[in-house]
Parts: sequence; C-alpha cells; structure tokens
Amino acid sequence: MTRRQREGSPWTGFSAVFLKELADHLGSARMRVLEWLVLLTGIAAVVAAIQDFRANSGQDPFLFLRLFTYAKDPLPAFVSLLSFLVPIVAIGLGFDAVNSEFARRTLGRVLAQPIYRDVLLFGKFLAGVATLTISLLALWLLVFGLGLVLLGVAPSTEEALRALTFLVIAIAYGAVWLAVAILFSVLFRSSATAALAALGVWLLFSILWPILVPFAVRILVPSELDLAFGIPSMEQLGLQLSLSRLSPNTLFGESVLAVLNPGTRALGLVFPSQLRGAIPGAPLPFEQSLLLVWPQITGLIATAILLFAATYVVFQRQEVRA
Amino acid sequence: MRRLRLLSIVFGLTLLAATVAVAADPPKPDVKGLWFVTDFPSVNARPGEPATLKLKLQNYNLPPERAALSIRNLPEGWQARFLGGGLPVAAAVPGTNESVNLLLRIDVPTGAPARNQTLLLEANAATARSELPIDVVLSDELPARVSLKPKLPSLSGTSRTSFDFQLTVGNDSGKDLLVRVAAEAPRNFQTSFTEGFGSQEISSVPIEAGQTKDLKIKVTPPGDVPAGDYRVVAVVSAEGAKAEAPLTLNVTGQPKLKLTGADGRLSGSAEAGRATPITLTVSNDGTLPTEEVELGGTPPTDWKVEFNPKKIDRLGPGEKREVQALLTPTSKAIAGDYMTSFRASAKGDSSSADYRVTVTTSTMWGAVGIAVIAAALLVVVGAVARFGRR
Repeated sequence: MTRRQREGSPWTGFSAVFLKELADHLGSARMRVLEWLVLLTGIAAVVAAIQDFRANSGQDPFLFLRLFTYAKDPLPAFVSLLSFLVPIVAIGLGFDAVNSEFARRTLGRVLAQPIYRDVLLFGKFLAGVATLTISLLALWLLVFGLGLVLLGVAPSTEEALRALTFLVIAIAYGAVWLAVAILFSVLFRSSATAALAALGVWLLFSILWPILVPFAVRILVPSELDLAFGIPSMEQLGLQLSLSRLSPNTLFGESVLAVLNPGTRALGLVFPSQLRGAIPGAPLPFEQSLLLVWPQITGLIATAILLFAATYVVFQRQEVRA
Repeated sequence: MRRLRLLSIVFGLTLLAATVAVAADPPKPDVKGLWFVTDFPSVNARPGEPATLKLKLQNYNLPPERAALSIRNLPEGWQARFLGGGLPVAAAVPGTNESVNLLLRIDVPTGAPARNQTLLLEANAATARSELPIDVVLSDELPARVSLKPKLPSLSGTSRTSFDFQLTVGNDSGKDLLVRVAAEAPRNFQTSFTEGFGSQEISSVPIEAGQTKDLKIKVTPPGDVPAGDYRVVAVVSAEGAKAEAPLTLNVTGQPKLKLTGADGRLSGSAEAGRATPITLTVSNDGTLPTEEVELGGTPPTDWKVEFNPKKIDRLGPGEKREVQALLTPTSKAIAGDYMTSFRASAKGDSSSADYRVTVTTSTMWGAVGIAVIAAALLVVVGAVARFGRR
C-alpha cells in the first residue's frame, strides 16, 4: 500500500472556507428563522421568570442563575428550551453542509482550488460552531442584560463564571449535533434524507432514549430483586446511568444542572453513608461543580471531535467528480 | 366555787349538745348585767403619743338601755375619750346579750411624769352600771428595733451557681416599720432581694409591729471568680435601727473546657482521601486546673480523625493549648460541605465544636478529561495520516 505523503500546510484555504461559510450562515434566511425561534422562546421564558422573581423576591444567593433554570407554567425553563432548540439549530446549520455542494456541483470546483478535504470539512464545521457561538452568545448576553435591567441585581463573580460555563457547555452540545448533521450530510447525497436522519437521531436521544434505557437494562441485567419487588438492583442502576449517559442530551442536562445549581453535589448514585454529616443545600465552590461535570463536558467535546473524525474518514473515501 | 361549777356544767352541756344534737342552742350563761370587757385592762402609753385600747360594752340578759359612758381619775392635762365607729361617743346602747365595740383613746401630754395611773371607766344605765379600772403604764419612747436571721448562713456552690439565702426579718418594736434591705457584697457580685416566694425585686418591705417577714437574697458571683469563701452582709435598717447578718458563699472552683478552632475559625477544607491538618485550641476558662483532657471527634462515616497530641495531661486555669486534628475524609466522599464535631473531655467537663469541612475532590479527573480530548484529537490526526489528503 502506498501511502500518500501529506503536503502543504493544513491551514491553506481554511480561512477562505471558514469566512465564506460563516457569511453564508449568517446571511441565510434559514438561520434567521431559527434565530427568531430561539430568541423569542428564550426571552419569553426568562421574562416570565423575572416577573415571578420580582413578585416574590427570595433570599436566593444565586438569583441570577435561577434566571436560567426557573420554569414557570406553561413555559419550560430557559435551559430546557435550549436543550431542545440547540440541536435543531445545529442540525439546521449542518444537514446540507456537504451534500448541497454535491447537488450544486460546486464541490469539485472548490476542491480544484488548493484546499484539502480536511480543511474544507474543518472550515465548515468551525463556521457552524462559530455561528452557533455568535447566536448563543447574543442570546446569553440578552438574558444577562435583561436580568441586570429587570432584576436590578448584579451577578457575583461566581454566578458570572457559572453562567459563562453554561454557555460553553451549550456550545459544545451544539457542536455535537452539528457534527452529527455534517456526518449525515456526507453520508447521504440527498439533503432531505440527511436532515431526516439527523432529526431521527435527535428524536431517538431526546425522546426515545430515556424510555428505552430502563427496558434495555432489565433485559440485559435481570435481577431477582427487580422481578420480585420492582426495586432495581445496584448493577441495573449503574448500567442504566451509563447507558443514559451515551445520550448527549443527558450529558448536557447533567452538566447544566451541576453548573447552574450550586447545591448539586453529585450526579448519579449516592450511598446514604456518603451523605452522613453532609450539610444539605450547601453550595459547592465553582471549581468543585466544574470538576463534578468535567467528565460530561469532556465527553461532549470528545464526541464532537470523534464524530468529526468519522465524517472525515467517510468523506475521504468518497469519490468527488466535477 | 359557784362559777367553777357553772363552768363545768356549761362545759358538760356543751359536750352533750355537741354529741347529741348539733342544732340545739347552747344554754345562756346565768349572768345578768352590764360589763366592760377587754382582754388586757392595761395600756402602754408614751407621752406625746396617743395610746388606744380596744374594749366592749357587753349586755347580759338585760333589756337594751342607754348607758352613759364616762372616765374618772383622769390626771390633769390628760385626755381620754371613747370612740365608737371612729367618732367620739358619750353613750352606748348594747342590745340584749349583745355588745358594743368601743375604743378608748388616751392622749398623754408631753412632759407628763413617768408615773403609772389608773383610770376608771364607767357605764351608767338605769338598771345597771359597770366600772373597769385601766392601768396606764407610762414609758419612755421605745426605739425601733429590727432583727435579721438567716436560715442557712453558709452555702456552697460553683461560680456559676446563684446562691439563695432565706432570711427572716423581724420588727421587734411597737409600731409598723418600713424596713430597707441592702447587702454588702464583694466587687462584681450581684445581689437582689425578693419576697419569700415572689419574683419582684425589692429594696424595702413594710412590716407590722411585732411581725416577721421571710425574704430571700440571691447572690450571683461573677463567672470567673476564683475558688474561696466570700462574705456577703445582708443589712436591714429602719429609722436608725439596723440589723446585720453575715452570709458566707463557699465558691468551689471548677474547670471549664473550651474547644475552638485556631483564631475561632470553625471551617476549613479538606481533599477527599487525603489527611488534612486542622489546628484547634483547647483552653480552660475555669478556675481549677483540669487533667487528662481527652480529644476526640465524630466525623461522618468512614472518615478518619487523629489528634496530635491525643491527650493533654494538665491544663491550668486560663491556659491554652493548640492541638492538631488530622482529618481524612473518605476517598468516596462527594464534594461539598460536611459537619464534623470535635470534642475535648475531661473529668466533669467537656466541650465540643462543630467544624464545617468543605470537601474538595481530586483534580486528577480533570487531567483524565483533557487526556480523553487529546485522544480524540489523536484519532483525527490518525485518520488524516491513514487516509491522507485529497
């Protein structure tokens, strides 16, 4: 097997691809629709929360963080909305990243330039991430500003750090779904199929996965205790937790919970002996909260990178004809 | 002799009546006439002050009659009159077998010779008359006199006890007095008087002539008083009269342990699974040295705590000693705040301090996370190397 020698800088043409893609994203009508969707729902949730806070102000030391997690019927919390909408925006940005170039027969032309495929993919991926970052940052700043103006309370350094971490986690979460969408856009030549496949995966993880996991655990690890009394055994609980953490939605939910709710001390199984002497409700320092969800955050980032690697491998093996 | 028989008959009859029938009226004594009746036909008087005598005009088996009242043998300058219902009266009409209450008021002029006099009281009615000689004893002014007697003059207790002494204050003079109460106590001792079972603090108490009253004095020594005997003098006084009662407080010393963090800080952080030194201060705020102070702790399950030193041999009053607790949270501890309590105990006293520990977890997993991301990037690089560039 002859090995092709790598040639040239890996960054050649990267900025051209990145800037063009970014401009396309930011100017597209699709993006505007998605942005308005996210913006309106997010603002509605936050304004509803602020109204409640002003009506009955409590002694919450982390009032600002509660902006993100407070749910007022019928609106879900800002965080829940994001966990739902960020994948849609990411899929919307990425589902036709590569196959539309095929369809428009522009891929050959692009690759005829001194631009490598990895650079093309990387540029498209990073442009998507940048678009997500810009829109999420704008939304985040809007929420922060609304909080400052309507609550009249300045956030503490810790609150600001936690909110910023939340933003990073949301971007990582979006990056995973963007990578999924780009992978499907490489796998399927039809944009519609790719969009449908990506949305299918999203539905699987956001709706079906939480239902499927307990069933799967019961089949995989039968337990007498479970059969007799309906109480899951330790192995079952452990496996259930591991399986549900395969879903990016779970990772996002857990990490956001720990970061935005400083009282969260553990995710997953906790033995009563570990809680003896513990002071309930005592907030964790920021570093400890971060350490608690570090596996989740790194999991999200690593998943995005691995999906990108898979996309690259698939893309490399495809034939591109002008 | 006749009267004695009469009395025995009356007594017997009364007994009989009481045993046979309660409802039967006791028979009337077989006396007939008008009499002045009083318990003590004698009165003490001081020149310049009015003296009074209570008496009754009793009518036995006579129809009601007007009885004129008069006083004879009155020395010159003296005044004496009958008072009935508070007003001067000159005559009285006691009903049959009834009596009229009277008050004899005698005013002896100042400077009257100190001589005993006998006044003759007379009641003149149409069918009967009565006479009663009254001895008036003239005496000089009796000074006010008060007495003070403690029930238990010596009590013992610790410096944190409040000592309650029961006192009996007596007015031994012939008139009502307002008695002031006070106490002389060592510096910083608190004293307060209360009435027998009352809770109100008092500074003076009125006592009728010849009566006594129970008071309580509560002495609270300052908390840091050294052991020893302390004298408190309770003083009662009225119109120049004064009585004292020395009271003794036997304060026994006692050690008082206090355990606290260095600089009073009772919180700190510890990493899960690693021994963390915590500096604690044991002090003896009491008044006696304490010996064999044991140190211990009740940390959460599976945590370890060791003390260095494990034991303090002797801690004098006012002394302070630093000890180090080596706290090891279990490696499975989840991050966050925990309560653990440390304890110093010696014979008869102990002190504990609740310490808030913020458990931090190892940052090793952070490095592992970064390694995971690095591995993922390596996969990308590997893929690029494997599939090359097109």
